Amino acid sequence: MKYTVLCKFALSGASRTEVIEELLRLFKIGEKSRGLLAGALDVREKVGATVVHSGIALPHCRSILVDKLTIVVGRSETGIPWPEEKVNTVILFVSPVKVNSPQEHNKFLGHIAGKIRKFGDSIAAAGSEADILALLGFQIEEQGE
Amino acid sequence: MDKQLEKLISLHDLDVMIADLNRKDIRKREADMGLHTEGALEELKELRETYCKSINRKWRGLYNQLTKHYGNAVVPALMGRCAGCLTRLPTAVCSDPERNFKIHTCPTCGRIIYWAD
Repeated sequence: MKYTVLCKFALSGASRTEVIEELLRLFKIGEKSRGLLAGALDVREKVGATVVHSGIALPHCRSILVDKLTIVVGRSETGIPWPEEKVNTVILFVSPVKVNSPQEHNKFLGHIAGKIRKFGDSIAAAGSEADILALLGFQIEEQGE
Repeated sequence: MDKQLEKLISLHDLDVMIADLNRKDIRKREADMGLHTEGALEELKELRETYCKSINRKWRGLYNQLTKHYGNAVVPALMGRCAGCLTRLPTAVCSDPERNFKIHTCPTCGRIIYWAD
């Protein structure tokens, strides 16, 4: 199964907070909701940074502010302090709060865990957007409308 | 958006985070990825206390009561309906552009409603 994601492959944010805000700007939600989501993700990071592999961070949470699993992949050439170690690849996702969403959330965590276990080094070192997405089993969401 | 409503939404998301970290399957999955959640749970609970103190007593009481009863106290309005019980919400409220600047509750289930911006 391929997950549909949004991407930003030239992140300009220099800190964890800035990068999370930058990636959340890709979400199709309003400014206020975005601010609340940034707050929730920040809380999650403060109680334990989500660096899941050298060079890869996985900020995530579940929230009533989204109605479907929303995934954004970001990449920084210079690296982002997260905050103790630098990461260059950020996979941010927010799952909705629905009856079966803990299972959906856990299933996606399982998908990511499997890919990182198998291809973690390759993902962190990948040279192109297409390579990262292929390694993660993602496809880009069409920006319609 | 009403400040108290913002706080109630944040409290709800925090409660979801705490509930997730209390789930064995999610905790195991996070631990498999090297994410340490033991201390996190305690910190989140402390943070919850702080959040609660910043919420007006009336809304905090309602939130706790609804959470106890339904499991979720805050829900979005979806196509003019309460996402918790699917009751159609009053048209006058739904069409009011300032609807998030006041806390509204579902006339049937009493859950706190917000409109996605």
